Amino acid sequence: MSQEISEIYTEEFFVNMGPQHPSTHGVLRLLLRMDGEVVMDMVPHIGYLHRSLEKIAENRTYLQYIPFTDRIDYVSSMFCNQSFCMAVEKLANIPVPERAEYIRIIMVELNRIASHLIWLGTFSLDLGAITPFLYCFREREKILDLLEMTCGQRMTFNYMRVGGVSRDITAEFIPLAKDFVKYFLPRVDEYEDILTNNPIFLSRTKGIGLLDQKTAIDNGVTGPSLRATGLKWDLRKDEPYSIYDRFEFDIPTGKNSDVWDRYMVRIKEMRESLKIVQQALDGLPEGPIKTKTPAVFKPPAGEVYSRIEAPRGEMGFYIVSDGSPKPYRVKIRTGSFSNLTVLSLISRGWKIADLVAIFGSLDVVLPEVDR
Amino acid sequence: MSPEDIKEILTEKYSDKLKEDKIAGFEPSFIIEKDSLLEICRYLKESNGLSFDLLSCMCGADYEDRFEVIYLLFSFSNKHKLSLKVQLPKESPEVESVTSVWQGANWHEREIAELFGIKFKNHPDPRPILLPEDWDEGYPLRKDWSGKDFKRMPDFK
Repeated sequence: MSQEISEIYTEEFFVNMGPQHPSTHGVLRLLLRMDGEVVMDMVPHIGYLHRSLEKIAENRTYLQYIPFTDRIDYVSSMFCNQSFCMAVEKLANIPVPERAEYIRIIMVELNRIASHLIWLGTFSLDLGAITPFLYCFREREKILDLLEMTCGQRMTFNYMRVGGVSRDITAEFIPLAKDFVKYFLPRVDEYEDILTNNPIFLSRTKGIGLLDQKTAIDNGVTGPSLRATGLKWDLRKDEPYSIYDRFEFDIPTGKNSDVWDRYMVRIKEMRESLKIVQQALDGLPEGPIKTKTPAVFKPPAGEVYSRIEAPRGEMGFYIVSDGSPKPYRVKIRTGSFSNLTVLSLISRGWKIADLVAIFGSLDVVLPEVDR
Repeated sequence: MSPEDIKEILTEKYSDKLKEDKIAGFEPSFIIEKDSLLEICRYLKESNGLSFDLLSCMCGADYEDRFEVIYLLFSFSNKHKLSLKVQLPKESPEVESVTSVWQGANWHEREIAELFGIKFKNHPDPRPILLPEDWDEGYPLRKDWSGKDFKRMPDFK
């Protein structure tokens, strides 16, 4: 008998997680080296959604390229629009009318909430909680209705233009948006009631997937995942672009930088975004919504980089212009691309079920990684 | 530190290895000798006054007479920025990898290597990253690239 037991041995094996896997939120392949249930090593394979958006940019005019920016991150398209338009405005030195800035901020902050709601819904679904998913999509629907009312689209908005926005908000928008702010604040408490102190949720998230601040910075992690390490850094506050310096809001940070902290930072961010929307709706001035730009738009030759705080971290466009109607080179810097690089570092030694929680907590959206 | 201070420190220390350039956004900006890239990057990250700890973005570009790799740096502790450029020849472009300085450079360099055909020396993991595994149509972000299905849009007058 004892002879037989000593012949039992264990060995490490490889598991392919993805590209088609419900918790990879898109198409990502993780090649895992497993010892039983424990992840020993992991190599992410990306590129399944590469649509060569940077090459396409060289072949389109600046205006033609705006709908393509929607596709960079289709759950927060407004940010891609804004980031691209801001870069071109900086390049060509085009002012944006005040009303347009206010409308932009209302739209991006609503979009930030919608994006965080998708994250919260799918993240809790990954952990086995189905109810929050249904709640989140119920509220997100209301935001999409508001955005649709303004720009006619529910996902890929194509709303902003160089020098402003494409159309004014309608008369019904403001009262409906104000109603939404009132309606949504207690809903955030509702999500918290279900999740924040739920013992199952806590045991799945507390102390899991620790990411120390030095590793995070070294790997270029930005956004809520960086703030969860305790670094108070938000481009809206620390490098105010657009008119963010006129609004009052806090930058939530975490302490332990585990999965739970990253969850908490995003929950708090939704409340802060709501504050900004409320203030922007109250202060919305009258006036033009767009600076006139020539039909054949030729910015001066030069190089520009402009970055904004998107829901997944720093999003920036590096544009090289040679003075022709088409950009010479466009580089898209996205939060998810850099945030995904730490996944293999922080998931080593955790069980495969924790890997799902850790990956979910980084809020990676694959089209943004592959571009 | 203000852009002028950074400019002063760098031009004093590396006067013969860099010259000024213009990038709106991350100022000041410099074109540096490609052979001293690693040395300068190390200094930028490790010197106390500068401590550029974040490599925010890396970007390749193809010009008529040269390739360029652009590094956008930022310091969380001092809240200042800097952009660096290296210029590489059209024939066999090659530059030292900065992954040993900022780990975050890893994927950025793999992307540039794959799309521009720029080689990064001493890169820890020089596999392709975005394109299909059986890709054999060259380096798509080069200006002279033309794939099977690639059509140029008509020019605006």
